[in-house]
This record gives sequence, structure tokens and C-alpha cells, in this order.
Amino acid sequence: MNATTPGRLLPWALVTPALLWTLVFFVLPFIAMAMLSLLEPGGEAATLENYRQFFYNPSYWRALVNSLEVTLTVTVISVLLAYPFAWILAEIVPPRLQRLALVLAVLPFWTSYVVRSYSWLLVLAQNGVVNEALTGSGLADAPLQLANTRTATVIGFVHFFVMLLTLTIFANLKQLSPSYRRAAADLGAGPVRTFWHVILPLTLPGIMVGAFLTFVLAIGDYITPQILGGNNELLMPQLIMMQIGRRGDFPLASALAIILMAVVTIAYLFCARWLKIERA
Amino acid sequence: MKSVLTKHLRASAAAAAALAILAAQPALAQELNALIWCDHADPALLQPFEEANGVKVNVKEFEGTGAGLALVEQSQPGDWDVMVIDSIDVPRGVEKGLFEPLPEDQLPFADLFPEVKMDGSTVVDGKRYGITEKFGYNTIGFNNTKVDVADMQSMASLIDPKYKGRIAIYDYYLPVMGMAALSLGKKTADLTEADLPAIRDVLMKMKANAKLVGEVTASQTALATGEVDILVGGGEWVTAGLAKENPALDFSIPKEGAVLWSQALAMFKDSKNKDLALKFIQYIVSPDGQARLATSSCYWGMPANSKAALTDEQKKTLRFDEQPEFLARAQAYPAPDADLDKKMQDVWTEMLQAQ
Amino acid sequence: MRIAARILVSAYALAIYGFIFLPVVVLVLFSLQATSFPIPPFTGPSLRWYQAVLADQRLTSALFNSVLVALLSSLVAVALGFLAAWGFARYHLPRSWLLRGLITLPLTVSYLIIGMGILILFNAIGVPKSLIAAGIGHVVINLPLCFAIIYSQMGEHQVNIERAARDLGASEWKVLFLVSVPVLWPAIFASFFLSMTFSWDEFVIAFLLTRFDTTLPVEIWNMLRSGLNPRTNAVGSLVFGVSIVLALLLELVFLRRNRQ
Repeated sequence: MNATTPGRLLPWALVTPALLWTLVFFVLPFIAMAMLSLLEPGGEAATLENYRQFFYNPSYWRALVNSLEVTLTVTVISVLLAYPFAWILAEIVPPRLQRLALVLAVLPFWTSYVVRSYSWLLVLAQNGVVNEALTGSGLADAPLQLANTRTATVIGFVHFFVMLLTLTIFANLKQLSPSYRRAAADLGAGPVRTFWHVILPLTLPGIMVGAFLTFVLAIGDYITPQILGGNNELLMPQLIMMQIGRRGDFPLASALAIILMAVVTIAYLFCARWLKIERA
Repeated sequence: MKSVLTKHLRASAAAAAALAILAAQPALAQELNALIWCDHADPALLQPFEEANGVKVNVKEFEGTGAGLALVEQSQPGDWDVMVIDSIDVPRGVEKGLFEPLPEDQLPFADLFPEVKMDGSTVVDGKRYGITEKFGYNTIGFNNTKVDVADMQSMASLIDPKYKGRIAIYDYYLPVMGMAALSLGKKTADLTEADLPAIRDVLMKMKANAKLVGEVTASQTALATGEVDILVGGGEWVTAGLAKENPALDFSIPKEGAVLWSQALAMFKDSKNKDLALKFIQYIVSPDGQARLATSSCYWGMPANSKAALTDEQKKTLRFDEQPEFLARAQAYPAPDADLDKKMQDVWTEMLQAQ
Repeated sequence: MRIAARILVSAYALAIYGFIFLPVVVLVLFSLQATSFPIPPFTGPSLRWYQAVLADQRLTSALFNSVLVALLSSLVAVALGFLAAWGFARYHLPRSWLLRGLITLPLTVSYLIIGMGILILFNAIGVPKSLIAAGIGHVVINLPLCFAIIYSQMGEHQVNIERAARDLGASEWKVLFLVSVPVLWPAIFASFFLSMTFSWDEFVIAFLLTRFDTTLPVEIWNMLRSGLNPRTNAVGSLVFGVSIVLALLLELVFLRRNRQ
């Protein structure tokens, strides 16, 4: 060991700030929330009443079911739409134009999220662009009921997550060494078989990371369902916000939040294989 | 390499300077903190007061008494000076020890429309805690070129399959459930838990006809853009402000009656600016303030002060002269106790989730 | 066959681009609306809403607040994330996997829940709502991201450079700041940029944790509660325009660095 070996203190000095921040502003609030979820508003004794309320009230657990249905639908559609797009950007667009193509795909998301959601509401309205195009071209007899429905919520979500998944899958595709493809070709595989048996499995990590992010971000999002769903059904974040905003019932809100986190944790365990943060 | 380091240092220095500027910004003139419904955010309303007194009015908007009280609970004492609260809910704030009694002799109580003075709720234990500043109706708002106006004289048309998919419901449980009660012939002041199943039925039927359930903006937009033709819980607060651009928007008081909404101003007991708060309240209920409040950009409504300085055209839009007749047929919001309130909100949630 | 494939591919790409740009085109179009409702028919073009936005003091101060919060919270997140990544990558710490997992845990939690938790904690100990509270929340959501990105880029090739610097007599801090930072610059920059993006447009945490001085997304939300108005379209378009300008500037800086 030479004279400049760091003491035992240095490594801890480096990681402690981040750890401390996470402990104080993430773990501690979480513990506070968990404790609160075991109280009744104004009550002192610990009780499972809030959780019981959730499981016995159909309007409440229906919100979780709705959230899962919407989120899974969004994830699947976004992956199916994004993969070919990422492929086109990574394989078919000439390399010098690829960064431009990516930036163009991401650019629209630099408008405000809230305003963009309201724009979707207008686009999907009775006399909005989509319906005008459909009725004008004769594809539909009457304007479709698009805005203020689950369809609108799904469209709003897919809009964002197609972009996100395109990025993760694109990154994965670019990372693939061309030797895989060459090897497959050398062994006599045609383009379809190469894709199905070689490329697709190798890009699975990119898909799973993107899908997991989509799941987590979508299931916890308040704005899109609130603006585009027309309150025709409630998803979990809306239910939680209702407790905070309208009723000041933080214990119940906390219980709902913990239930939501439990669901996300299950999803994480399912995807854990592909989500390890490995060093280069 | 060094240039990268200095680049970092320069960035941090700039950030630190920005933080210093932010922190060192001298507290400007005196500030008034107000918890309000969105109609009090209009600069046309606030600026004359700010300029006349050399102060700044900070506002935080909320919708629904529950939300407002929740905001207060999340704050520290002294955070707020005045609050806009439904007249009928003033006792709730008094119960929580939030409000300061108002001086009867320094406010124009004699000029208020008698039906909206609401002594029953703004006076608690002989002391007055709130003064009504604005009122209107949660009733049936509609586009008179798209619906049969005769149908709008009865609430039965709201649950008529004829209007399926053409209705929006205003997302506030108290007035809409009050309307449901009226349609069943019950009085809003006498609601009990036993009435809930019947009210629930009416709500479910309305939801089946509804395209969306929305708050102030969503409801206004839906009616204005033609997404829906009828707004349950709508009234002049939706139609009057849009009257210039869309004169087809109107409202009716059906034969079953309508629900009367009335906003009051209250002062916080822990306020650090009680004199300024009183001045603000006096300004709002003065003829000039009343005229501006009545025609505020978020939603219009009737000024509580009958001497409000409105133009003839504005009075016509608000149907100023028909008010006595309307008031005779309107009932106040339901004022449930905590237990009934929770059950009512549960019914509302059930309605929102219903397919 | 080839031509059919090319047409299919181009059509698909165009369709996706069209889908992505649709709400933004409508947004910008109706920011130029002459009447008061941003709905068809288009009655423009008129710049009155841009004038209204620039004259609206609440909006311009909200814009300033957004930039400030994004900048400061991203700097903190990158700094903490970088130091932690370096510490974990270069040294052996007991139960490193557990601690690393803890730092990245917030990635799986909805912003609503993170904001709620901080709100509950601050309420309990009497900390008032403010821009700083929102900034703290933003660091919580961005720190795991910065840490993960930088940590994943710390590989063997940097170790060699650092070892060389150490052999030449540099102290640990000099190695850190004068060698590692420049070498890891792309990762640091990427995480800073990403943090700024997330913080800048973040709504829920800012909504729960600010009172009067608030960020742009919350101010827009408040504006929208007062009625649908092309002013919000104008704000959205302005933000969009500024982002494009920034992106172009970035490209120029990037290109210049590449050429060096």
C-alpha cells in the first residue's frame, strides 16, 4: 500500500450525503406515512380500519383494478408501437441523422405536461381534429366519443410512453455488437429468424426497463386520468388525491399509497432480473 | 481538464448567487394571504385594492369547503388572513376555532339581499363570523339551441334517456346531492342518512346519462365547446361569463327548485394582519368591489350587496331583477355533520366509479 | 418488394411522428387564436395571448421559480449522486448492495406518494410549504437517477487513468475533481440534463409542497382552473420555443466540443 491510500473515512464521506438525504427525505416520510395509515383521523389507537375500508368498499378497490387495467394496456400498446419505431431509428435511419431523429421525437415533450394533456382533450373533443378528420373523410358517420373516456386516458399515456420506450429500446439496439448478426448470418439464418431468435432476446432488457418505467410512472400518475378521463371512473392516484384534497383524510390517503406501493413492488420483483444496475 | 473544472465552479457560483438573490429579496410591502375560490384571483378585482393600499394580495385557490379546510389544516397558524367559505359552512370554521368575529358596524349588512344574509349560519353564539359576498344557483345550465327549453323546467329530464350522453355533472357533491334531494321533494336542510339510498338512485341515473363529471373548468369547457348540452349543477356561474361569446348558453330554475350557493368572507383569528384583512373584506363588499367580483373572470355570480355598481347590461346577463323570484324557490346547500358528510362523500365516490 | 417495404417503413415512421406532434401542433396553433376559447374553429392568427402571458406577473415569476428549482435541485442531485457513485465504485463498503438499492429505491415510487410523504413529515414537524420544500422533493426523485446513470458508467478504463494520476502524486480529492469528473463528464451531463427535464415539468410534488411562490406547471394548473384560455397555449408554446433554442445551443456546444 502506498502512502496515499485513503483512510476508512473517505468512502463513507462520499456516500453519506446521498444516503442521508434518502433516509431523511424518503425513508422517514415513508415511515411517517405508514404509521399514519394505521390511525383513524383524529384517533390515537392503531387500527387497520383504513385498509379494511379499502378492501370492503367496491368503489375503492375498483380504483386499483382500473389502474392495473389501464397501466397494463398502456404498457403493451406502447411497447408494440415503440419497438418498430426504435428499430427504424436505429437500423434504417442513416447514422448521421439518428441524433436528429431522436431529438425530433423527444422535442414535443418539452411543452408543459399539463398543457399538453389539455391539448389532447381538445384534439379528441367532439368537434376536435380527430373527429373532424374521421367524419370528413367518411370513416365515421358521427363523431366518436373519445374525450373524457378511458380511451382518452390511454391515448394520453401512450403518447408519452411510446417516446420513453423508443429511447430505451433504441439505446439497447445501438449497444448490440454487429457480430451477433454476422454470426447468425454465417450460420444461415434469414432476417426474420435472426430477429426472432437473436435480436429480440438481446433487446429484452431495453424493453423490460422501459416497460417497468412505464408501469411505475403510469400507475402513479394523477394528471392524465384527471384531465382526460372526465371522472367517468377513478384510478388510484385520483382516489388518493381526493382524500388529501377534499377530505383532508391523510390516514386513508396513506393507506391507499402503501397499497399502491405494494403493487409496484410486486411488479419490480417480477422485472428484477432485467433491472440490475450493473457497472460498465 | 482545468477548463471543465472552472466551468463547474462557475456554474456553482452562479447558482449560489441565484439562491442568495432569492433569499435576500426584501419582503415587499405588507402582504395579505387569502384562501379563495378562483373568482377572487382576477387581477381586475385585486389590483385596485393592492394599489389603493400599497399591499400585495397572495391567493391560493381551492374548490369545495372540504378542500379549503384541508389546506388550512396543512398550514401553520398565521399563514392565512382571510378565507372565502360557503356561508353555510361558516360554523365549521368557527367550530375549529379558525375565525375572528367581524365588526357589524363597519360592514354594509343592511344592503345585502335579505335571503343571502344567512344569519342562521354566519352568526354563531351571537357573534358574526362571515359576510356573504356573492351568490348564485346550482341548477340546470344548458345550450338553448340544442335542447327543448320546456324540458329544462323539470329535473325529471336529467334522468330521461332522451338526453343520454349529453349531460355533464358538476363535480361537487353538496349541491348536486342537494339537487337530487329536491327532485325527490325533500328539503336540503332536513337531509338524514335515511335519505341517502333514494338520492344515490337519482345520482346513478344521472351518471348513466352523463358524459363526464367535471370541476369548474371542465364543466364550463364541456358546455361551451358543445361536448355536452346540459350541465347539472350549472347556473349563471357557468353561462353568464360566456354569454358574450355564446349567447345560446342559459340556465333555468326548474319547478322542483334549485340549490343556492353563497360565498362568504371570513377573517382568521390567528391572522397577523387583521386591520388589512378587514379593509380587504370592506373592499370586496363595497359597491365597486361587488361589481368586479360579480363579473370576475373565473365565474360570474350575483353580488350579495344589492347596491353593487353593475352596468345595465351586466345586470341583464345576471338576471338581477328576477332574483327575488329565484331566491324564493331556491334552498341552501345541505350542511351535514361530519358523519353524514363522510357517508355523502362515499356515495359520491360510488357514483364516480359507476359504469 | 423492397419498395413496398420502404413505403411501409416510411409510412409507419411518419405516422408515429404525426402522433407525437399532434397535440403540440394543435397547442401552438390555438395559441394564436383570436377569440377566447382554444377550440375550433381557428379564428387567428393573433398575438394577444402571448402579450397577455408576458404581462402576467404570476406566470413570469412562476417561470423563474421553475428554472431556479430545477437548476438547484439538479445540481444537488448530481453532486450527491456523483459522490456516492464514486464512493461505491472505487471502494469496498460493507453491504454495498443494500445501500445502493436504498439510494435507487425512490425510482419505483410514484411522485404523488413521495410528495405526500414529505408533506406529512413536514406537517408533523412544522416545516412550512415553500419552493425549497419542492426542491427537496425534486432532489429525492432525481438523486436515484443521477446515481444510477453515473454508477453504470464507472468502469475499468477510468480506474486506470485514476491510478496513473495517483501514481503521479495526486491526492484523492484532486483525482476526484481533476480526473474523474472530466472523464465521466458525459454521464454527469446526461444525469444533470435529465434531472432538469424531470424537475422543470414536475407537477404533483410542486403542487403539494408549495404555497404562493410556485412553479410553472402548478401556475398553469391554477390558470386552467379559472377557465380554458389560449393563454395556457401561449405559455406552452413559449416553453416549447425556449426548449428548441436551448437544444440548438446545446447542439452547437456539443459539436464544437466534438471538433476539438
